[in-house]
Amino acid sequence: MKEKLNALRLEVEGMIAAAKNEVDLQKVKTSILGKQGSLTDVLKELPRLDASIRSEIGREANRLKNRFSELIESRREEIKLKASEIPPDFDCTVPGIAPPSGSLHPITQMCYDLNDTFRSLGFEVFQEPDITSELYGFDNLNFPPDHPARESMDTYWLEGHDSGSGGDRLCLRPHLTGASVRYIQTHKPPYRFVYPGRVYRNETTDARHERAFFQYEALIVQQDFTFSAGKVMIKSILSKVFGRDVPVRMRAGFFPFVEPGFEIDMGCLVCGGKGCSVCKHVGWIEIMPGGTPHPNVLRAAGLDPDEFTGFYVNIGLDRLVMMRYGVDDVRLFHSADLRFLSQFC
Amino acid sequence: MKLSLNWIKEYVNIPDSIDLSQLAYDLTMSTVEVEGVHDLAKGFDKMVVGVVASVLPHPNADRLKICKTDTGDGSIHDIVCGGINLCPGMKVAVALPGAKVRWHGEGELVEIGCAKVRGVESFGMICASSEIGLFDLFPFTEQATILDLSAFDAGAGTPLAGALGLEDVILEIDNKSITNRPDLWGHYGVAREISALYDLPLAEFTPFAPPAESGFTVEVEDTQRCPRYIGVKIEGLSVKPSPFEMQSRIWRVGMRPINGIVDVTNYVMLATGQPTHAFDADNIAGHITVRRAGDSEKLLLLNDKELLLSSDDLVIADDECAVGLAGVMGGAKDSVLPETSKIILEIANFEAISIRRTASRYETRTEAATRYEKAIDPERCSLALSLVMKAFPELYPEIKVTGYCDKYPVHLKPSEIDVSLDWLEKRLGKRIPDEDIGGKLERLGFNVDFNGDNMHVVAPTWRSTGDISIKADIMEEVARMHGYENFEPTPITTSFDCAINQVEMDLERKIKEHLAFRCGMKEVFTYPWMSDEYVNAIIQNTEGMLSLSTPPAPDEKRIRSSLLPNLCKAVSGNLRYFNEFAIFEAAQVLRDEGYEALYDVREPLPLQRRHVAGAFAGSTEDVTLLFRKAKGGLESMPRYTHMAPLAFQQIEKPEWADSVVWLNICLSEGRVGNLALLSKKAALDCGIKNSAVMLFELDIDSLAPYPSRSNEFAHLPDYPMADYDISLLFDSPIKWESILDVVLGTKEQGELLRQASFVDEYRGKQVPEGKKSVTIRLVIGSLSKTLTSSEIESCANAVVKRLQKQLGAELRR
Repeated sequence: MKEKLNALRLEVEGMIAAAKNEVDLQKVKTSILGKQGSLTDVLKELPRLDASIRSEIGREANRLKNRFSELIESRREEIKLKASEIPPDFDCTVPGIAPPSGSLHPITQMCYDLNDTFRSLGFEVFQEPDITSELYGFDNLNFPPDHPARESMDTYWLEGHDSGSGGDRLCLRPHLTGASVRYIQTHKPPYRFVYPGRVYRNETTDARHERAFFQYEALIVQQDFTFSAGKVMIKSILSKVFGRDVPVRMRAGFFPFVEPGFEIDMGCLVCGGKGCSVCKHVGWIEIMPGGTPHPNVLRAAGLDPDEFTGFYVNIGLDRLVMMRYGVDDVRLFHSADLRFLSQFC
Repeated sequence: MKLSLNWIKEYVNIPDSIDLSQLAYDLTMSTVEVEGVHDLAKGFDKMVVGVVASVLPHPNADRLKICKTDTGDGSIHDIVCGGINLCPGMKVAVALPGAKVRWHGEGELVEIGCAKVRGVESFGMICASSEIGLFDLFPFTEQATILDLSAFDAGAGTPLAGALGLEDVILEIDNKSITNRPDLWGHYGVAREISALYDLPLAEFTPFAPPAESGFTVEVEDTQRCPRYIGVKIEGLSVKPSPFEMQSRIWRVGMRPINGIVDVTNYVMLATGQPTHAFDADNIAGHITVRRAGDSEKLLLLNDKELLLSSDDLVIADDECAVGLAGVMGGAKDSVLPETSKIILEIANFEAISIRRTASRYETRTEAATRYEKAIDPERCSLALSLVMKAFPELYPEIKVTGYCDKYPVHLKPSEIDVSLDWLEKRLGKRIPDEDIGGKLERLGFNVDFNGDNMHVVAPTWRSTGDISIKADIMEEVARMHGYENFEPTPITTSFDCAINQVEMDLERKIKEHLAFRCGMKEVFTYPWMSDEYVNAIIQNTEGMLSLSTPPAPDEKRIRSSLLPNLCKAVSGNLRYFNEFAIFEAAQVLRDEGYEALYDVREPLPLQRRHVAGAFAGSTEDVTLLFRKAKGGLESMPRYTHMAPLAFQQIEKPEWADSVVWLNICLSEGRVGNLALLSKKAALDCGIKNSAVMLFELDIDSLAPYPSRSNEFAHLPDYPMADYDISLLFDSPIKWESILDVVLGTKEQGELLRQASFVDEYRGKQVPEGKKSVTIRLVIGSLSKTLTSSEIESCANAVVKRLQKQLGAELRR
C-alpha cells in the first residue's frame, strides 16, 4: 500500500507540472480528489485495511491530499503569471507599420555602391557640368573631325551655340569621357578618379535605348601601368557590386579615345555562362568598353604619353541596374513613375 | 555582315582541328565580334533530291496530283503535290516527314508529317523554292511552281544541302565591331586575320596585267574626293545568269543574285570589300567625268528615286548629265539592261567623309557606301581588278577589253612607325619574343624590321587609312594577336598619401539621403529639357533659357533653369495613381548667362548649378501638414548634412507660389531657394486639380558644408526636467515666431524655463471667431535641485502672464 501511495505521488506530481492551464488543473484535481479520484479510492479503502497499518497509511494519504492541493494551487499561480493579458484572438498576421518609405533612385543606389567601392581603392569622385563643348566632347578625345557623332543627328547641340567649333560649340554632353581631361587639367598626377553622370544622345527611344542615360567612368593614369592590371580593377569592382565572383574577359574593341581598346564582357549571371536568352546564348554579356587612354587624349590633358599611361572603363549604369533587378525597359528610369520607383525602397 | 566559311576557306585553309566554336571565339576575342554561327545545312534537314517517276491524277482533287517519287530509300513513294510544272523524270526537292517548311512560303516553319491529303496518303512534300527559304536563289513568277533541280548532278536521295552545295556555315559579324577596319568588309580581309591567328598561309591573287591605257579615258576633276579611278571598257557580254556557285555564294551572305554582270561586281565586293560598278557603255554619252554635282542638278537613281543634288555631292557623269552618285548608287540611265553587251566597269576609290555625307543626305545606305565610308585604301582597286578580270572571262569567254585607264595621281603612303621593344614590354607587362611579334605582324601584312631595341614597322596600305598610325596601334596588334587572355592579371599597386576627403561631393549625397531616408521622399529622374506647358505654368518666362537646336519634340526645346516644371509634371503624372506622396530630384540647372572659362580659355561655359527640389503632394485639407513636413525636412537638413542652418523669410514671392504660403530659404549670404505652396492657377496649368502641392528648390552649390560635425555635447541634467503644456487663445494673425519671442525673449532673472516648443494650433468650433488656440510645451527645471510642483506652476504662470500682457493672449477655458 505504501508503494502504491508512493507511485501515486510521483504520477500526480508529474501531472500537475505538465498542466498548462486552468482546465488541465481541474482535470488533474478531479482525477485525484474527485469522487472517483485515485486518492479518494485509497481513502475509501482505509476501513478495510489491517489496523496495524491503517493509521499510518491514513496519515500518509492525508498528507498527500494536502500536498497535492498545495501543488495545484502553486501551479495555478505560476500559470496565471505566465499567461498573457492580451485576448487570444490577437492577430499576429496583420502586417507591420512601414517607416516613412523614401528611397534613392535605383541608379543612384548603384552609383553610390560603386563610389564606395572605388573610394576604398583610393579613387576620388568627380563631376563635370552637363553642358560641354565640341572641344571637350570630341576634339580632345581623338574623334576625327568628320565623326558622325559630332552631327546633330546624334548629339543635342544648343541653339545659338551650334555653329562654331571647338570650345564655342556647346552641347549636352554625349558621354562622360571629356570629364577625364577636365579632371587631369585641374589635379596633379598620379590620377585615380571616377566620374559618374548622365549623358545625352539624340536618338529614337525604345525599351533598350534612351535619350538620357547614365554612365560611370573610372580612370587611372600613372607611369607604367599595364592593361592587365585593369582587368584586376574591373573584376574586383564587379564582384563587389554583384556580391560574388564574376568572370571577366577583355576582347578587341574600338573606341577613338583608347588604344588599345577593349570590349569588356562579364559572365552571364543568369545562366552562369552556360548560355541563355539574356546573354544571347553566348554566356557573356557586353558590359563596358575600356582600354588605355589614347596618346592624343593624354596630350590634350597636358601629359606626355611616353611617360604616362593608364586604364579606363566606362560602365553603363542603366545596363548594370537592369541586370541587377531584371528591369526590361530602360525608359522606366526617367519615367518618375512611383509605381516603378517604390520597388527600390 | 555575313561571311561564308567555305568562301573564307578558299583563301585560307583552316584545318579541321580548329572547330567552329573555337574559331568564332578566337575571332571575337582578337578581331571582330562573331554574333552568330549558322549551319546552313541544318535548314535543309530531312530534305532530299527526289526523282519523279510518274505523275498521276488525284482521285478527289483536280488541282492535285499524285507523284510516284523515288527518294533514294529503295522504294517509290506517293507524294501529293499541286505543282504546275511537274513532269516524269523531273528532279525535285522532297521534304520528308520530319522536315520543317514554310507552307506556300508564308508564316511559321511547320513540321511535315505523314498525312492524308484529300484522302490520299502523302510521303512528305515536293517543295517550291519559297517553301524552303530558297526563293531568292530560285525565283519564280507563276504560283505553284515547283523547284526544278533537273540541272543538278545529284541522284535520288542525295541530301538537298549537299546537292545544292549549301553545306556551309555562315558567320554573322557585328558591324559595329568593324567600323574602324575597312579591310574586314570582305571575305579576304577576315581570311587574313584567320591566317595570322593560326599561322596559316593566305592565298594570293594573281595581279592583272593592265593593258596600256587606251580606248577611252576618264576625267577626274576632284582628285581629293576621288583619289583613284580605274575604268575598264569590256565588250562581248550578254545578260545571263551567273554560274550557280557564284549566285549561291552571293545568296548565302545575304544578297540577291541578279544577272551575270551585276553578280560579278557584287561577288568582287564581297570578296575584297572593294565596291565596283558596271555602266552600260551604250548609254554613256561621250566620256566619263568624276565631278562635283551642280546645285539642284537632278539624278534618277537605279531604285527610281529622283534626287536634287548639291554641290557637295560627287557624281559620275557623261557628257550630258550625271549618271551615278559616286560611291553610293548608280543611276537609272546607265544601269545594266537586258540588252546590255558593252560595259564600262568602274573600280574607284572615294573619300570616306563625302560618301558618308552624301549617303546620309539622301538616306541611301548601300553596301558600297557602307564600305566606302570606312576609308578603303586606293591600292585595293588593283586587288578588285585582278579578281574581276578573272571572273568575267570565265563567265564570258568571248569578251574583249577595248578600253582601260587608271587615274591614280598620288599614291597612298603606308604608315611607318618605330616602336621601342622596352616600351612595349613595359606597357604589355610581358616580353613577347621578337619572332612571335614579327611572325604575327607579317601575316597581317606588316613589314617588320628589328634593330636592337627598335622595331621599325611599315603598315600595309589597307591599314594605313587612319587605322594604324602610332605605336599604341602596334601595341594593340601585338597584344590582340598574342591573345588578351594570355596576359596574366597584374596587381594594382598604390601609395596612400591621405584618405579621400571630399566634403563638397559628399554634401549632395547627404542631402539626397536625408530627403530619402529621413523625410520619406522618393528620388525621381526627369529629363533636362522641359515641356512648354510646364515652363509656362511654373516659370512663365523663357528669358535667359538655353534651348536645343534639335529637340526631342517641338515643345520640348527648353533646357531646365529650374527643376520645378519637370517635378510638377512628375507630380501630375503620379496623382493618377497616388493621392499622397513626396518626391525629389537633384540635378544641374542651366542658364544662358554667366559664361566662364572654367577649364580652358577657349571654352566659355554657361552658368550651371546643382539644385535639389522636392514636392509633397496631398489633399487640399492638409496644406498645414504638407507645409510643416516640407519645412521640417529643410530645417533638419543642415544638422544631418553638416552645413550652416537655413533661415526662412518672406522677401520675394516666386511666380508660381500661393500668395500666402511661401517662404524664401536663406543663408547669411542671401537667398538660396524657395519653399511654397503651388498656387491654384499654376496647379491647374499643370493639370493638377483637387490636390495641394508643396514645393521647394534649393541651390546646392550655394550651401557650404562644414569640414566636420559642429555641434557640442551638452551635459545631462542632474535633476529632472518637467514638460508643461499650456494652451492659450491668440488673435488669429499672431505668428508663432512672435509668440516664441515672448515666451523665451523676456525671461526673468533666475527663471527656470529651459525650452519652449510648438505643439499645435487650432481654429474651429471651440475657439471664438478671429482667434486661434496655440498649445506650447515648456520644459521647466533647475540645475541645482528637484522642483516642487508649485515651483513648476509658478514658472509656467509667469510665461502665461507675459503672453497675456504682451500679446493679449487668453487662457482657454
